[in-house]
Parts: sequence; C-alpha cells; structure tokens
Amino acid sequence: MQNEEQLTCKIEDLANCCGGVDDDIMQKQSSVPLLGDKEPLSTLAAEYQSASPILLEKIKVLGDKYVAIRRTRGDGNCFFRSFMFSYLEHILETQDWAEVDRIKLNVEECRKTLQSLGYVDFTFEDFFALFLEQLDDVLQGNENSISHEELLNRSRDQSVSDYVVMFFRFVTTGEIRKRSQFFEPFIFGLTNTTVEQFCKSSVEPMGEESDHMHITALSDALGVPIRVVYLDRSSCDAGVVSVNHHDFVPAPGNLPSATSASSESINPFITLLYRPGHYDILYPK
Amino acid sequence: MSTPARKRLMRDFKRLHQDPPAGISGAPQDNNIMLWNAVIFGPDDTPWDGGTFKLTLHFSEDYPNKPPTVRFVSRMFHPNIYADGSICLDILQNQWSPIYDVAAILTSIQSLLCDPNPNSPANSEAARMFSEAKREYNRRVREVVEQSWTAD
Repeated sequence: MQNEEQLTCKIEDLANCCGGVDDDIMQKQSSVPLLGDKEPLSTLAAEYQSASPILLEKIKVLGDKYVAIRRTRGDGNCFFRSFMFSYLEHILETQDWAEVDRIKLNVEECRKTLQSLGYVDFTFEDFFALFLEQLDDVLQGNENSISHEELLNRSRDQSVSDYVVMFFRFVTTGEIRKRSQFFEPFIFGLTNTTVEQFCKSSVEPMGEESDHMHITALSDALGVPIRVVYLDRSSCDAGVVSVNHHDFVPAPGNLPSATSASSESINPFITLLYRPGHYDILYPK
Repeated sequence: MSTPARKRLMRDFKRLHQDPPAGISGAPQDNNIMLWNAVIFGPDDTPWDGGTFKLTLHFSEDYPNKPPTVRFVSRMFHPNIYADGSICLDILQNQWSPIYDVAAILTSIQSLLCDPNPNSPANSEAARMFSEAKREYNRRVREVVEQSWTAD
C-alpha cells in the first residue's frame, strides 16, 4: 500500500516531492568527478564529432583564444563550483594579495547583508569561515599554504567543495534580496514568483541551477568580473561563425584594482564555457 | 569528537533552547547529538488543537549540507505524511538548504499540519478527504489528536 502511495507522490509532483528522481540523476552524475582535469580543447571537439557542423566550427573558433577546458560535474552546482575553482586557482597562481584583501571586504559586506535580512548567524558562518580559510591557504608563505594539487583535492572533496558552493549561494541570495527592486522584474518575468520565493527555491538549495541572475548577483556582490562564453547551435549573421560571450561586470566601486584601471576594456580573469544547462571552466591562451 | 555537523547541532540546540518558537520543542537524545526527539503542538483554533505529536530527527555528518531524516512517531492523518511517519515536505527533500536549523524545520512541519500540499499526497485517503469531505477529514484529525495524548 505504501509503495503505491509513494508512487502517487512522485508522479503527482516531481518538483515538490521526495527527491526520488533527483537521486537517480545524482547517481548517474556522481561517476563524473566534481571537477575534472585540465584537458586540451581538442577533447571538446572529439565530443561533437557527429554533431552539427556549426558546433565544430565554433569550437575551432574557440581554439583561437582558448587552450583548455576543465569540466565540472553537472549536479546543478556547476556554475558555483567552476567559479570557486577558477577564482582560487587564479589567486594561487597570481598571489594577488591586494585582490584577496579586496574580496574580503566584500565578503564582510555580504555577511552584514545577510544579518540585516534576518538570517541567523550560525546558519551561514561556517560557510563563510571555510571560504575565507581557502583564500588564506592559497596564498603562499604561511604554514597552511596549499599547493595547486591540494587545491584540486579540496575542490574534489565534497565536504569542502559543497561548503564553498553553499557560501556562494548565501552571497548570491543576500545580493538578490538586498537589491530586490532591481532583480524583481527579471525574476517575475522568468518564474512568476516573488524575489523571496525565488531565492528560497532556486538559489538557497544545493543543486539548483544558476542562470543570469545568479551570475549577476554573485559577480556584483564579490566584485569579480566573469566572462561566459556561449557554445550553442545558434548561427551567426553573414555566414561568419563567431562565438558569443557575455561579460558580467560588477559596478565600478566593487572592481578588483587590477581591472578597474581600464574600465573600458575589462578582461575578466574568470572564463566559463556555457553549453545549454551546464558550465565548465575555460583557459585562455 | 567535534565534527562540523555536531558543532552546528550544538548551536541549533542552543537557539531552540533560548528562543523556542511557539508550539514546538526538541532536544537531542541522551549522549547523541545526532538523534533528536521533538514535539509539535497542534496549532490553536484548528482541528489539530491540543495534539502533542512526537517526532524524531536523524542527522548525518553531512548536516547542514544535507537535511535530517524526520519522522513522526505519533500516528498521523495528513495528506503529506506517510503511514510510517515520514513527511513529504519540499524543504526536507530537494528544496533543503543549510539556512534551515532545527527550529525552522519544526516550524515548517507545524505549518504543514494546517496547510497541506494537495499536489504531493503521501496519504491518498487523507488527501481525498481533505479536498472532498472536510468534516470527515477533521473528525479523523481529531482522532489522532486524542491518540497523541495516550500513545507512548
């Protein structure tokens, strides 16, 4: 009897109920690492050998500017996880202490935002602490400093990686709710729900996919520009194949010092490849 | 042994203890912070009024990144509660987020009592009665309210 009832429950309302189907998807996905190795761009082309020629053309064009791709697991957290690794890897490689100081100020602002929105401190403070710890650890010269390999290990370790993903979700929800007047029309147009409901159902739960709003909010809140390169079947005018990208550029006050100097031509140090429904990391030449 | 889950649960407990929302109570079982007992009181001026419904909450070391398993121990009659006491509630499944602490979980379950979600029935008889035979539904609810006083 109970089986029958459970079945009804799942069939009746997949979105609201019981996660049975989600679990199946998770299981399939869990054979893919949370974060893959850096692979040459040619592996991307290999994936599309039998696909529409326009995709292969576009991948060829991508090859002019980018050398490698790092894949992430398609578990609904791929945007945040890509951002996490890409950002921390950038700090590890550049040892940009000024950028770390800058982002820490933004992180403190995010904390105040959540507090002023009525979020209870202990529900988010562990997530903040873990991110700040990763920031300090990728800076070299202190006893907890970590290597690139260790950064990879941590990013693949669910307990660390998911905490940092959740930190970004807190930051994103805080930013969207703080600027609810700005985000409201987009949210209402997309989902027909209130800002609060959107955050509760599409930002705060793990595994909920990100779109423009999430990226805008995260980029603004942390003051980090993000380039998203779009790989899809859409074709281009005049028969010339090109690959579209969009730069998410935070308001000038929040920009990292290195990029704010020339606000005309901001070159985001985080580049993500978007294929419908999924984000991976791209490495420029 | 102090893991992130245990540390967080201590803070959940402190908050629930110092600032308990109306009509709920909960505490870890002796010597095991990962297993809690809780009581939800039926909201006033509803058919649930007067009920004292017992629940257990099982936390894993993945808490708060994963929700606890929550189950009514008291017998229930509700569209979203299975015969074994487990609960069909979005925030305990795919809409879970670490922003919910124990107080928030119990408060959500409490409001689910009077505000069932007819789209995800876990008890089809209760779901049908709730929408088609409210008087009979209320009578069955009163029955479990009375049972809640005597059952262990």
